[in-house]
Amino acid sequence: MKPSNLWRLMAAVTFALVTAPSAVAHHAIQAEYEMSKTGSFKGVMTRFAMINPHCRWFFEETKADGSKVMWEMSGAGPGALRAAGLVRIFQIGQPYEVTFAPAKNGANVGRVRTMKGPDGKVITLFHEDPTNPLNN
Amino acid sequence: MRRRIRTNTIIAAAGAAMLWLLAPDAIGQNAPASRTSAPTPRTAAGKPDFSGMWVGTADADLKPDEQGNVTVLSKGRPCHPGQECKPAINFERDSGVRQRMSPNLPLYKAEYWDKVADLDVNGNFKDPEIKCYPPGLPRIGAPSKIVQTTNEVIFLYQRHNTFRVIPVDGRDHDAIRSQDLTYYGDSVGSWDGDTLVIDSVGFTDESWLAWPGYFHTNNMRVVERLRREGNTIIWQATIHDPEVLMKPWEMSPVRRNLNTDPKALLTEDLPCEDRDADHIATRERG
Repeated sequence: MKPSNLWRLMAAVTFALVTAPSAVAHHAIQAEYEMSKTGSFKGVMTRFAMINPHCRWFFEETKADGSKVMWEMSGAGPGALRAAGLVRIFQIGQPYEVTFAPAKNGANVGRVRTMKGPDGKVITLFHEDPTNPLNN
Repeated sequence: MRRRIRTNTIIAAAGAAMLWLLAPDAIGQNAPASRTSAPTPRTAAGKPDFSGMWVGTADADLKPDEQGNVTVLSKGRPCHPGQECKPAINFERDSGVRQRMSPNLPLYKAEYWDKVADLDVNGNFKDPEIKCYPPGLPRIGAPSKIVQTTNEVIFLYQRHNTFRVIPVDGRDHDAIRSQDLTYYGDSVGSWDGDTLVIDSVGFTDESWLAWPGYFHTNNMRVVERLRREGNTIIWQATIHDPEVLMKPWEMSPVRRNLNTDPKALLTEDLPCEDRDADHIATRERG
């Protein structure tokens, strides 16, 4: 991704995040996700859904024993991705390395943080404050 | 390093945006003089012309440097040691605090206080908008775009691809539609000087007036007042629901500035699908 596009995506996601209360009702993010933890997996993206209130990415992870695990990641709303002109960058059928804040109920869902695509570029959709001493 | 600069930039931008959020009704309150001192367009009949796009004019005050990065000092609420403390969490919590701090809230009769409290406490599971139902009137707020003709004023909203057609030809409420159970009611408009007054009845009781759980009955009446000052519209709604409210709730006015971009368009709002309900683990709201 071009740096300018990455900036546009971040700005759009940030804007959508901070303006969300005036746009749509939503629950607190910490009511669903364990924000102090980070999970990760490598899987093939099987579907990208442009739906409100949060876009969804679906993945299939293949474990060492050959078993399959399905993952569902949540992120910004479609308006944010659309505003950045980045709705078609996600490559269905391609492998991704994903980091996320895991669901508190233990389900295979999460709030996506980063997705590293087949081209090696990282899409950051959720931000931690690197200056916060509480972040490791 | 460059990546870190970008990340810091976003955090800073989020902080700046939060400050903007923490100032209620900030949009337009400090609008440049040119917006309100501009002449108010009028129709051939001499009434204010509300036609135009009324979204997309928030000034983010983000100025990219030569590399396309933006640097703004973060002034968001600081974290507290020992707490689960991330920018998004602070944002969610501050949003809830900001909305609860409003001095202008509906006053319910005592027998409904428990219901209001229950909807607040369990709002993560009971908020109709989280379940993808329409926000309804007045929760949807001011229109995104207005099209005005001699006998009709048409409100268009970005959210849920919503429209309202409001007759302003002097007619009264339709006998059938005023008894319907809809999210936006049966609306008729009239003029009070330069103010458009919109009277709406015929509501479902499934929608909320506002976060965190202000409910209403299907006998609610909503009276909106819309006026224009130069390139700014001021929208205000008053809720009449004597079955549950101690007195009419006069909601705080909302100001919207005209989007002067001739290419500005409303875009299709994509479907809503609630995929969170099964995974919400706590009652914390924001």
